[in-house]
Amino acid sequence: MSVLAAGTGVFKPPDPDGFRRHVRDHKERRLVSKVMSEHEAIERFVQDGDYLSYDCNIWNRGPASLMRELIRQRKRDLWIAAKFTAHDATLLVAAGCVSRIDVGWMEVGRVIHEAMAEGRVQLFEWSNGALAYRQLAGALGVPFLPLRYLGGTDVFRTSGTKLIEDPYTGQAVCLVPALNPDVALIHVNQCDEFGNARIFGAGVAPVETAMASRKVVLSTEEIIPNEEIRRHPQQTRVPYYMVDAVVHAPFGGYPGSVPGLYRADVEHLMEFGAAQVQGKMAEYLDKWAFSVSSHEEMLEQRVGQEKMERLRAEETIREGYYE
Amino acid sequence: MSTTRTFTDMEQIICTTARMMEEERLYFVAIGGPPLIAVLLSKRLRTPNLTYVVEDGTIAPAVQMPAPAFLIASSAAGYRAVAWTDMNTVDFHAGLGYIDYGVLAAVQVDQYGNFNSTFVGAAYERPARRFGGPGGANEIASLCWRTILMTRQQGRKFVNKLDFMSSPGFLDGSPDARQRAGLPADTGPWRVVTEMAVFDFDEESRRMRLLAVAPWATVDDVLAQMEFKPLMAPSVETFDLPSEEELAALRAEVDPSGRTIRGRWITVEEEDGRAHLVQQEAAGEES
Repeated sequence: MSVLAAGTGVFKPPDPDGFRRHVRDHKERRLVSKVMSEHEAIERFVQDGDYLSYDCNIWNRGPASLMRELIRQRKRDLWIAAKFTAHDATLLVAAGCVSRIDVGWMEVGRVIHEAMAEGRVQLFEWSNGALAYRQLAGALGVPFLPLRYLGGTDVFRTSGTKLIEDPYTGQAVCLVPALNPDVALIHVNQCDEFGNARIFGAGVAPVETAMASRKVVLSTEEIIPNEEIRRHPQQTRVPYYMVDAVVHAPFGGYPGSVPGLYRADVEHLMEFGAAQVQGKMAEYLDKWAFSVSSHEEMLEQRVGQEKMERLRAEETIREGYYE
Repeated sequence: MSTTRTFTDMEQIICTTARMMEEERLYFVAIGGPPLIAVLLSKRLRTPNLTYVVEDGTIAPAVQMPAPAFLIASSAAGYRAVAWTDMNTVDFHAGLGYIDYGVLAAVQVDQYGNFNSTFVGAAYERPARRFGGPGGANEIASLCWRTILMTRQQGRKFVNKLDFMSSPGFLDGSPDARQRAGLPADTGPWRVVTEMAVFDFDEESRRMRLLAVAPWATVDDVLAQMEFKPLMAPSVETFDLPSEEELAALRAEVDPSGRTIRGRWITVEEEDGRAHLVQQEAAGEES
C-alpha cells in the first residue's frame, strides 16, 4: 500500500494499545456510584496538558458548567477538539486554559485573534466531520480510518491526513489518524448514578466522544434510578463502564439550551459578545466563573430563580425529547 | 408605472439560491447562516416538501415560522424531524450518495470553485483575519453530488489564489483532479451565487463561467468585482430581483431577527420591465 501524499501537520498520535491498557488498568467494571461534585470531577479527571473533547457546544447542550469549573481551577495547556463549537473555544482561550485547538468550526473574534497574534494559542485545521470521524476511529480502537474528503485542500496539506492507493480498488483514498482524547466532557439529559446515560435530540458525536476518550466526565440535568434505566434499555447511549464521573448539574448547559428543557439565554450570549468586543473578558470571567464557588452558586446568585423559570417556560417544544 | 424596491445584497443572494431548489432533491446545509435561510425560504414559499439534513444529525426537520431569533441554539431547528442522528451518520449518508446538493457559504472562491472559510491576509499562524474554519464545508463539498456556493461579489472574494483552501472545488481543474485527491467521482461545485451574478462551471476546463447577472448590474459590473476573468455563457441571462413576497417572508418569518439577511442596502427602480440601480451602500467588512 503506497502513500501518495502526506500532510505535515501536528496531531495527537494514535495509540490503540495504550488506550486498551488504560481501560484495563483504570476503568471501573463494577456498578458503583460515580456521583461527585463538579470540583472533584474536574480536579481528578482533567490534568494540565490534556487533550480535551466536549460534545455539542455552549449554545446547545454543551457541558458549560464543567467548562466554568475548568476555568475556576485554572487548568492550563489543554488541547481541544473544536468540532462544531460555538464560543466555547473563545471562553477557554480567554481564561488561559487552552494552548492548542484542532479546528472544525468555532466562533472567532477578538480573543482568538489576540491569542494567535501573541502566540498563546496554536490552531490546527481539520473540519467538523473530520474531527468527529477521527473520534469514530478512536471509538473503534483502530489507528486510522479511510475517508473520502479533505484530499486536495490546504486542510490536507496542513494536517496529519495521508493519501494512499487503496489496496482493494487501486484508487486514491485519504486516511486520518484516530483521535483518542485524554478526557471528554459531555452534558446529558439523564443518567443513573453509575453513568448509564440518555441523550435526547440530535447530537454531534456524544457516543464516539465517550467511547474514544480515556476519561469521561458526564454532567447531567437529572439523575434517575438504575431501575428506570433498565426499564428502557434502548434509550441508553453511553453505558456505565465508560464513565468516570457523574456530576448532577441542572441547567448545566446554561447559557445554552438543552432542547426540550430550557431555551438558550440570548441575553447572556449577547453579554458575552459585548464583553469580547469591548475587551472585558476578565470581567465576564470574574462574574460568571471566578467570583462564584460552584455552578449551583452561579445559578442562585447570577442567574436567579425567576430567569430559570422563564427559560424553562419559554422552551415550548417537548415533543420528541420528554414526550 | 415604476416600482422601487430596497433589499440587502444577502437577501438577493438568498432569494436567487432559494429559487434553484427542487422538492425532489435532498439538501445538506450548515446549521446556520445563508444556506439554511435559503432552504427555509424555499420551503416556505415554493417547495414545502423539500427535505434537508443538518450537520448535527437532524434529518428533514419542519421548522415552524416565524423562526426564533437564535434558531441555531434552539430546539425549533430540529422540530418534527424524521430522525435525530449525529454528525458521522449524516456524513455517511452524503458519502453514500444520498445527498444531491450541499449549500455552503464561502469567504473566498477561486476560478475552479475551491473556497476558503479559514483566514485571509498574512499567514495561517498569525492571520490578518481569521474565520470560523472549514466547519462541515469540506465534507459537504466533497461528498454531495453538487455544491452551491453563496458569497458576495467582491474582488477580494473572487481571487486568483486563495489564502487557504478550506474546501474543494475542482482543485487544479485537471481531469479527474478530485478523484486523484481521493474524493468521490462525478461530484463538484455546480453554481456560485452572488448578489450580482450566478456562475456555473465549464464541463471541460472546470473554470467558472458567468451564467446570469442581476437586472440592476452589467457584465462589466460583475467583472470589476473579480480578480480573475470567468468564462462567458453563450448568452448571459438576467435573473429576478427579490420579490415583495420573498422579502416579506424572509424578514417577517424566516429570519425575523435579521441576523443572516443583513448586509449592504441596494435600491432598484423597475419601469416597463427594466431595472436600474438607484443607490447602493459601499461594501463593508461583512464576510
